[in-house]
Amino acid sequence: MDRRTFVYNAALGTLHLGWGNLVRAQEPSPSALGSLKIAVHAPEFTPSPLAMPGLFPGRVIDVVHPQAVQDRRISQPAVRTMLTQGMAALTGDKNPADAWARFVAPTDIVAIKVNPSSAPATVTSIALLREVISALNAVGVPNRNMIVYDRNSNQLEVNGYHTQVPAGVRVIGLDQRWAVKGSSDVNRSGYDPEVYCEMDCFGERETRSYLASIVTREATKIINLPCLKEHNASGVTGCLKNLAYGSFNNVARTHVDPKTYTDPVIPVMCSVGPLRSKSVLHIMDGIRAVYHGGPFGWNPEFVWEAKTLLIGTDPVAMDRVELEIVEQKRREVGAPSLWDRNPANLGRSSDIERTAQKNPFYREPNHIRTASELGLGVWDLAKIDRRKLVVN
Amino acid sequence: MPSDTNWVTLLASNDRRGGVAAAARKPPTELIWKATLGDAVRSSPVLRDGVLYVACRDGRLYAFDVSNGRERWRYQAAAAIHSTPSISGNLVLVGADDGTVSAIDRASGVRRWQVPGTGEVWASPTVYDDDVYFGSTGGEITAVDRATGELRWRVQPQARICSTAYVTDRRIFLGCSDGRLMALERGTGKEVWTHRATEAVVASPAVDGGLVLVGSEDYFFYAVDAESGKVRWKVETGLGVTSSAAVAGGKVFFGGRDGYLYALSAADGRELWKSRPMRAITAPPLAADGFICVQSFYGTTQAFETDTGKELWRANLGGSVSSTPIVSTEAVYLATYPGVVYALR
Repeated sequence: MDRRTFVYNAALGTLHLGWGNLVRAQEPSPSALGSLKIAVHAPEFTPSPLAMPGLFPGRVIDVVHPQAVQDRRISQPAVRTMLTQGMAALTGDKNPADAWARFVAPTDIVAIKVNPSSAPATVTSIALLREVISALNAVGVPNRNMIVYDRNSNQLEVNGYHTQVPAGVRVIGLDQRWAVKGSSDVNRSGYDPEVYCEMDCFGERETRSYLASIVTREATKIINLPCLKEHNASGVTGCLKNLAYGSFNNVARTHVDPKTYTDPVIPVMCSVGPLRSKSVLHIMDGIRAVYHGGPFGWNPEFVWEAKTLLIGTDPVAMDRVELEIVEQKRREVGAPSLWDRNPANLGRSSDIERTAQKNPFYREPNHIRTASELGLGVWDLAKIDRRKLVVN
Repeated sequence: MPSDTNWVTLLASNDRRGGVAAAARKPPTELIWKATLGDAVRSSPVLRDGVLYVACRDGRLYAFDVSNGRERWRYQAAAAIHSTPSISGNLVLVGADDGTVSAIDRASGVRRWQVPGTGEVWASPTVYDDDVYFGSTGGEITAVDRATGELRWRVQPQARICSTAYVTDRRIFLGCSDGRLMALERGTGKEVWTHRATEAVVASPAVDGGLVLVGSEDYFFYAVDAESGKVRWKVETGLGVTSSAAVAGGKVFFGGRDGYLYALSAADGRELWKSRPMRAITAPPLAADGFICVQSFYGTTQAFETDTGKELWRANLGGSVSSTPIVSTEAVYLATYPGVVYALR
C-alpha cells in the first residue's frame, strides 16, 4: 500500500496533502491548522463521490417524530419511520433499498461506528442500530459483513451492543482485538501500525495516534451513528468527533484543562485517507440529546428528548446544525454559549455534572469550521440546506 | 449447594456465590495479593479447593493459588474468553470467542476435550448429571457429554444467546437477544414454552419456588411460571436489566443499567429496598448470609445488608461489566475489567 507522510506545519500554517484539487488556500484566522504540528502517515486519499462530504454536500435532513420516545423507551417503529422517510428526503428515492444502494453494495464490508461513550440513556440507540442493520440487509449486505465498532469495548458491553444486535453481526471494541502479546503490541491490537497521526500536544510520552485496522484494512464502507451531544472540550461530539476519536487511539491526550487541541486534531484525523474515503453516510441520534455535561451526560437534567435524527453525507454541515441545536437549547436554559471564553465560567471536571454554568475547558467548536477548510463539508449556515421533516 | 459435578446455573447456584459456602460479612481492609493480567476480565472468577480460576480476554484461563497468588497453570485458548468458567468434578469448563467450549483438567490445566460451535460463547457452560449445556451468539444451544464432549443435541433458535442456562431435572431455561425467554426439554432441546419480552433477555435466569426470575432490556424484571410460561408478576425499572438475579431467603436481588441495586420479594415482586444509584450495574450480585455484594461498572464494589439495604462497606478498585466478587470466610476475591485480580481480607 502506498503511504505518504503529510505534515500540517505550524511554522508555515499550510497543509501539504498532495491531494491536488483538494488542497485549499489557507483560510484567514481563526484557522487552527497552524496551531499544532501534526504529521499524518497514511495511504493517499483516493477521491470518490462517496467520500466526505459525499453525495449531498451541505444537505441535512432533520427528521422529527413526536412519538419517538414512548413511556421512556425509544420506539422502534418510530425510528423505522424516521429513518425510512429521512433517507427518502436525503436521496429523493422513494424505495428505501434504492436510497441505501447509493451508499453500499451487497459485497461491501460495512463498519458501523456507534457512540457508546455516555450514560446508558444517551448513547447511539439500539433501535437505530437495528434499523440500519435491517436497511443494509435489504440492500443485500449479510450480517457477517457488518462490524459495529468503537474504541472502548467496556462501553460497548455495558450498553448492550454485543448482546442485542442480530446474530452474525460482529461487535468490536478496538482495544479488544485479540492480543496475545498484550495491548502494548500495536501489531496485534485493533490499530494499524502503518497509519497514524503524530503530534505532541502537552509533552506526552506517546505522540502517535493509530487508526483502527477495521477502517484501514477490513471495512470498505463506514456508516457513522453519532449522538447529538455537547462535549466539554470540542463543543459538540457529532459526526466528526465520533469518527475521529472513536477510530484513532490515544486521543484523550489532546485536552488538558482548560486547553484543548480537539481543533485541529479532530478535522485532521477525519481527513486521513481511509477514514475520509470510506465514511459515506452519517445518521445522528438526537432522540435523546445532551446540552451540558457531555460526552457522558450523567446528570439527567441536562438531557432532553429532541426526538430527532439528523441524516446526511456531509459531516460538517450536520455538526454545524447540531451546534445550532445545542446552542439554542443552552440559550433556553440560560447556560453560557459553547463559544464562551469567560475565565469565571471555568470549573472542575466534576462541576459539569452539577451546573450548566461551569466547564473545565474553553471549548473548541471551531473544529467544525476547520474541517470545512480541509474540504470535508459546508460550514456556512447560509449554504446549508437543512430540511426539517416531521413524521408520524 | 451444588453437587460435586452439577453446576446448574451461572456461578453454580441461585445465590451466585460460585459454590463457596460461607462468607464473612466484615469489610476487607488488607490486600493479600493482586495479579495484573494481559487484558480485560469480563467474567467472574470461580474458586474451589484453594485455587482461583480467572478467564481473561487475552484468551487465557489462569489458575491462582489463593494463599499467595502464585500462578499454578494457564491454559491458552485460540480466542478471547468472555465466558465465566464453571466447575464440574475435576474439570473447568469455559467458552471462547471462536465458538468453542473446552473442558480443562483442574489440576494440570490440560485440555480434556473441546466442542466447536458458531459465533462466540459468552454464556457460562452449565452442568446437570452427565451433560453440559450452553448457548452462543451464533444462535445455537448445545448439549454435550460431560466426560467426552460428544454432542447430545443442538438446536438453533436463530437469535444471539449470551444468557447462561438454568438447568433442572426436566428443563432448561434461558434468554435470547430477540426477547424470548425459553423453556426447553432437557433431554432433547425441544421447546416447551416461550415467553416474549419486548427486548433482549441477556441475563441468566434463576429458578426458585416454581418461578423463573430474570430481567430484560425492556426495563422489566419478570417472574414467569416455570411450568406454564405465564407471567406471575413483573416490576418496571429505570432502564434495561442485564444483571443476573441472585435469590436467597425469599428475596430477589439484581442491578439495573439505571444504577440501582433492587431487592424484591420473590413471591410477589414487592420492592423491599433499592440502593442509592451507582450509575450502571450490569454484573450479577451475590447473596451471602445477611449481605449482598455487587460490582458496579464505574468502579465500586459494595456490600449491603440484606434486610435493610444499608451499605456495609465499599471498595474502589475498578469496575466490572459482568464480574461477581467471591466472598469467603477468609478473603474477598475481585476481578476487574482493567484486568486486575485482587485478594483482600
